[in-house]
Amino acid sequence: MEKILDKKQIDGWIAALTAKSQDGWEVHAPMLEEGIWTYQPASGAVRLDHPNTNQSPKGFAFPQREIFFSFEQIKGEAPRLTQVLPKEQRHAVFGVRPCDGRGVPRMDKVFTDHVEDPYYNARRKNVAYVGLACNKPPSPNCFCLSVGGSPVSTDGLDVQLTDLGDRYFVKAITETGKALMTAGGKLFTDPSAADQKQVKQVHTDAVAHPQRKINDPDGAPAKLRASFNSPLWEEMARACIGCGICTFLCPTCHCFDINDEVQSKAPLKGQRVRTWDNCQFPDFTMHSSGHNPRENTGARLRQRVNHKFQYFHENFGMHQCTGCGRCISGCPVGIDIVAVVNKVTEHAG
Amino acid sequence: MIDIKDIRDTARDMLTKGEARAVIGYRRGSRGMLAEPAFITNLEQADELVWDPTCFHNLSLYLVEDRKFLAHLRKTANAPIAIVAKGCDARSIVVLMQEHYFKREDVYIIGVSCEGTGVVDERKLAPLLNGAHATSAAFDGDDFVFTTAEGEKRLPAREVMADRCLECRNPFPKEHNAVFGEDKTGRQLAEPFAALTRFEAQGNSARWDIWSRHFDRCIRCFACRSVCPMCYCDECVVDSISFPVTAETTAEDKANRIRWIERSAVRSENITYLMTRAMHLAGRCTDCGECERACPVNVPIRLLNNKMEREAREKFGYEPGASIGGSSLVASFLDSDPGDFIR
Amino acid sequence: MSEQQTYEPRIVAFLCKWCSSAGSDLAGVSRIQYPANATPITVPCTGAISPMYILSAFNKGADGVLVSGCHIGDCHYIEGNYLARRKMHLIMQLIEFIGVEPNRFRMSWVSAAEGGKFAQVITDFVNDLKPLGPQEKLKKAERA
Repeated sequence: MEKILDKKQIDGWIAALTAKSQDGWEVHAPMLEEGIWTYQPASGAVRLDHPNTNQSPKGFAFPQREIFFSFEQIKGEAPRLTQVLPKEQRHAVFGVRPCDGRGVPRMDKVFTDHVEDPYYNARRKNVAYVGLACNKPPSPNCFCLSVGGSPVSTDGLDVQLTDLGDRYFVKAITETGKALMTAGGKLFTDPSAADQKQVKQVHTDAVAHPQRKINDPDGAPAKLRASFNSPLWEEMARACIGCGICTFLCPTCHCFDINDEVQSKAPLKGQRVRTWDNCQFPDFTMHSSGHNPRENTGARLRQRVNHKFQYFHENFGMHQCTGCGRCISGCPVGIDIVAVVNKVTEHAG
Repeated sequence: MIDIKDIRDTARDMLTKGEARAVIGYRRGSRGMLAEPAFITNLEQADELVWDPTCFHNLSLYLVEDRKFLAHLRKTANAPIAIVAKGCDARSIVVLMQEHYFKREDVYIIGVSCEGTGVVDERKLAPLLNGAHATSAAFDGDDFVFTTAEGEKRLPAREVMADRCLECRNPFPKEHNAVFGEDKTGRQLAEPFAALTRFEAQGNSARWDIWSRHFDRCIRCFACRSVCPMCYCDECVVDSISFPVTAETTAEDKANRIRWIERSAVRSENITYLMTRAMHLAGRCTDCGECERACPVNVPIRLLNNKMEREAREKFGYEPGASIGGSSLVASFLDSDPGDFIR
Repeated sequence: MSEQQTYEPRIVAFLCKWCSSAGSDLAGVSRIQYPANATPITVPCTGAISPMYILSAFNKGADGVLVSGCHIGDCHYIEGNYLARRKMHLIMQLIEFIGVEPNRFRMSWVSAAEGGKFAQVITDFVNDLKPLGPQEKLKKAERA
């Protein structure tokens, strides 16, 4: 399904999606708050003119904090556990950039491929991604073309919007996407031949824009495997401060920690929660004994890069990195995944 | 004006004579205009050193890292480390020495004066470049000069400087072994604590409305803690890694152990974390502003530290990083300390 | 009765072992009537109170936090209360800075002989806390 939507009508479309009383969507769109773009509940005045959001939209299916169950124990009684599943609410996320769209199937691989994560699944089946093609790279650190992506990729998206100046070219990618568009009804018009031609041109131009480049993405898995003991890791991670910016902003990082949060001691009451964790934190691999197998920043940087470009590739046949460039732009000390991969692969020969 | 050649020559000289085992400075990074920390151990690398308005980092953090690394290897250093330090960075080094983290002879301070300006605030710069991205930045008198794809862009430094630099009272590193650039102490580009004063002019409930939104935004990536040279504790109160959970750990054990702050990035825990950090930095923070710069979600962390700094200065006459031998703010007192608030 | 009228603030009171804790005992044995809103936690000295305790008490749902110790000059450890005076000033300022009502935190000097003063401090604190209502700003959410 391919349609044209006047830019002035986007609020109308969103209103139509939210209004349906029976199974209404909650619509989220990027909004600028305190200098950063974040997904917020959309209530009119949606203008998809954001570069990219500060954080990826992975939180819609994999929130930073997920309650698994609550527990309560009264003395002399068996402990009572109550599973807490996410609320049944459909979410439509607008303005998702292609790199973040490509993050979705990667997260799906992790949480649904070998083992089904009920919490992830409960959320994921209720989220639809309305993508926005990048007419030009929104960040100076974009490199989607290097990792098999494209500024006009539709991977992981349900609908793709392409900005044609005063209107969007709207394309349904999935059945859910068609349903979203159908809800908009007459707001959409059929594209003319000129529209078709223009969208083709915009897409061609988008791909032609220069980006940052990973020189040998295909050779990376083998070369990284061969470079496990390279002294380069430590050298390149010398400035790393061990914060969580790179992984928390990443559209595909999915490591987590599980903790019991005790609310009261008598009666013993609380909940078990899953929170994002981060391989760059020094305590991520800390053993109870005090031994830490990834003792220095070099080993931790290697883990992050190898996971994206080697381990994930070996497991699922694709790079885990989608080239959004957030980890590069966000790093306070200039650690640059493009430069790191290039340097290691060059030295691997 | 600082000639970068002088800094490079000093670095080369130190390394040649074996007076320093490494020089920590700034070099050009691989992303746009931004400088990044450099660890120079051989002579050729010395030519990579730069000095420009993107040299934000408080490099004294790496003196702490070095100390921890040596302790881990159970080694002692054979020569000092040389470090490029701005006024605020040099004050951090003084605080670290005041706290006996290392000794004066362990470090060779190559001071750089921020002269009439300071470092750029990327958040202020972005809108002025109209979507263009700068590939280099340079000092030029009272201006910054940026190179973009559309050509050269000259901006008065005042318009794009970080607040902390505008308000800086000591842009000259008083504690140093060598120093470059003019001493422009007292240059007063903005009133000290100007941003804080503006914020405090609002009422109690307005302040809460603003702070609660900031606390909600925090994602607990701990960049503020990681980037801070004063956050050197081996174990932070938020981590509790000394409480391992084993197969034998009972629910009772878990319930009874002290967990000051939960891992969840929710408002109450974020508040406790950020407020505790501000308290731990009282009298120690030298306003390098790195926590606020590093924050990926723009929490104005500096305001909290600034508030403590001003209280210490006005009520206790205390200036962080003023002298190596001085006592610390919370381990000392005066008879004249305010006590009116006590019933 | 409205909720406001039935609301009883919960106070966490950090009392120094040598003075204020003994003062509270004296209030008890002297049978002085005062509100039962305070949960006392005895500490060796006010100087040993980390600001973290105060933040943590609010985090766990205290409506008010009281720190009470020996009068200046009377500290068993000579200077603990001088150090406390500085630290508590700072934490009070910080709490107020983010917009929490300053009346939720209180510090007092109560000696072992001042049972009456202790009762008065608690009574005043409860009276000041009541109009503020429950403390929700720093409190851990029940479930969120």
